[in-house]
Amino acid sequence: MSNISLIVLLLALMAIAYQVGMVRSRKVATINPGVRMHSRPQHYGMMVGLWAVLPAFFVLLIWAWFAPGVINTMVQASLPAEFTTLDGNEMRIVMRRISNLAANFGIVADAADWELVAAEYMKQLQHSSTMLLTALMATLASAGLVISFYKIQPQLRARHQVERVVKVLLVLCSTVAVLTTVGIVLSMVGETMKFFSFIKPSDFFFGTTWNPRFSTTGVGEGSLTGSQGSFGLLPLLSGTMLVAFIALVVAIPLGLMVAIYLSEYAPAKFRATAKPIIEVLAGIPTIVYGFFALVTVGPFLTDLGAMLGLTIRATSALTAGVVMGIMIVPFISSLTDDIITQVPKTMRDGSLGLGATKSETILKVVLPAALPGIVGAVLLAASRAIGETMIVVLAAGNSPALTANPFEAVSTVTVTIVNQLTGDNDFASPQSLVAFALGLTLFVITLLLNVMALVIVRKYREQYE
Amino acid sequence: MSNVAQDNATNLKIIARDVKVFYGQAEAVKGISMDIAQNEVVAFIGPSGCGKSTFLRCFNRMNDTIEHCRVTGLIEMAGLNIHDPALDVVQLRAQVGMVFQKPNPFPKSIYENIAYGPKLHGLAERKADLDDIVESSLRRAGLWNEVKDRLDQPGTGLSGGQQQRLCIARTIAVSPEVILMDEPCSALDPIATSIIEELIDELKQNFTIVMVTHNMQQAARVSDKTAFFHLGELVEMGPTNELFTNPQNKRTEDYITGRYG
Repeated sequence: MSNISLIVLLLALMAIAYQVGMVRSRKVATINPGVRMHSRPQHYGMMVGLWAVLPAFFVLLIWAWFAPGVINTMVQASLPAEFTTLDGNEMRIVMRRISNLAANFGIVADAADWELVAAEYMKQLQHSSTMLLTALMATLASAGLVISFYKIQPQLRARHQVERVVKVLLVLCSTVAVLTTVGIVLSMVGETMKFFSFIKPSDFFFGTTWNPRFSTTGVGEGSLTGSQGSFGLLPLLSGTMLVAFIALVVAIPLGLMVAIYLSEYAPAKFRATAKPIIEVLAGIPTIVYGFFALVTVGPFLTDLGAMLGLTIRATSALTAGVVMGIMIVPFISSLTDDIITQVPKTMRDGSLGLGATKSETILKVVLPAALPGIVGAVLLAASRAIGETMIVVLAAGNSPALTANPFEAVSTVTVTIVNQLTGDNDFASPQSLVAFALGLTLFVITLLLNVMALVIVRKYREQYE
Repeated sequence: MSNVAQDNATNLKIIARDVKVFYGQAEAVKGISMDIAQNEVVAFIGPSGCGKSTFLRCFNRMNDTIEHCRVTGLIEMAGLNIHDPALDVVQLRAQVGMVFQKPNPFPKSIYENIAYGPKLHGLAERKADLDDIVESSLRRAGLWNEVKDRLDQPGTGLSGGQQQRLCIARTIAVSPEVILMDEPCSALDPIATSIIEELIDELKQNFTIVMVTHNMQQAARVSDKTAFFHLGELVEMGPTNELFTNPQNKRTEDYITGRYG
């Protein structure tokens, strides 16, 4: 029986045990008239259900974790003597063939006799393992059910038991989320360390040339221009910052004014319609923004530049920045709108009551009061802009040059990660590994921005609550 | 209180005739007429939701800031119709200051809180003039000695009673003629309340004060005249002593003797 069907059976058993427990607790209540049951019937039912299922489920988990390893070891031990001395990699290939044979998976041509024997042995082991597991689970489940069934007494604190299980469940779920983050960071740190075994960290963080060279032959004598290529972060970082800066220059005034209009001037009905529509901007896939930049905004900016006597490339930091700015408008406008709405009405009344006009009130009282929150919103938008990939892949021109001219093509950290990980690179080469170092750098930058934003926003919240 | 009678005849500050206020379809104030003389302290009392705050907010047209709120009837402030299209609401509010229920200092320094109004209206040409206005306003609000060493500290850092006096000082700073107070002590403790009440007593030499209060003792202590509101109507208005000792209307009597509200 497969593990999936075992789980389905367990769930069915849980439903049955729940009913059984409820019925039993009602019966216990009638047997002991005058004694108040500690918990409600559904708590007793839930308790019986949990006792029937949880121990068996844990056994299933542990079994699924260890059984394949144990079976593998036993099969290995049974192999003819000449194979038991193979080293790790070769042994892995042999075992892969055997387990494929055992599972009738794929067509393994000309299987040797000893392989067939081992595969047969493996099949047997797997079969008995499943039988053993099923028997064990059945025993545990019925034992749990029966014991908890007879434990139902008026004094039994079933509600507390159920609550404890609920709490553990919730803790487990949140642990998964936290561990995922930790896992992502750790996996990047590992690869980044490998990268730094090729390239000195100082060359990476302070290098001004980005030219990774797609050759993987030989590692130069530590020279920047050797066959190894140069991995200077600065051109990419400057490109990232330039694009993000342009995006913020576009998005901050636009977003703020949208927010002020929506929160202070727009009639309630208009606001209720306009706000979701603006938020749709945030939901447009960024690749679509990329098309928009490439096909519409880029040529338009080039024409505009020609009119003004400027040379603006169609794919440039400006194109990517402007479009990215439009993308992050809803982040700023929506958050700022919420924050402005939170500024107490009494504050506005105080200013209006002194004879200030509406715009004076907004400029001199409401915005200063909302400023910390607005800064938080802008930082969140900035971290979004820095991590943005598709728009810059398509519209920034992909030219890793250290320049502050927004009309030139640039490249960003995210674009470079895409470039380094696509194509036919050896995964152990610095050309690929650098992607992880770049990713980690980006992660740290956006993490810092987010933390700063959260701290500021939280501090602001406390002020009015 | 001695000059009330003579002022009443000659020196009317506020005249209201058949004032009605609607929130959407609901009529919150149902045709109130009232005269308020210069340098008088008038207290509005009545149960919650009786329209007294709404009526108070008509005097500086604060109801304009509420969507779906409509005011009809005539209100004259020092002889000028406040709903006259030619009249600038900004000027009106500079003339009719307002202190709110909850102290609402701006998130700025104490100095900037006071200087806010004078700067808006261009009352001070030079920094020294502004300093003078700030100092005299704080002095008149009885707050100067407590804050003179920390004018650059945020106004939100003061205690509740100090914040409310800061708001009063802020109102005085634009030299209004009338001060409206909407339950100015409801968020304060008894000591802070008594300080504000003393302050009101001093302020009435220079200002006409209209205040809403839930506290009948407070009305009795500080006001020259009291108006009792019920269900959007003005039930009775008269000199405070008479209204509390000898109410003419049954509803007033029931309310001040605590039979409802």
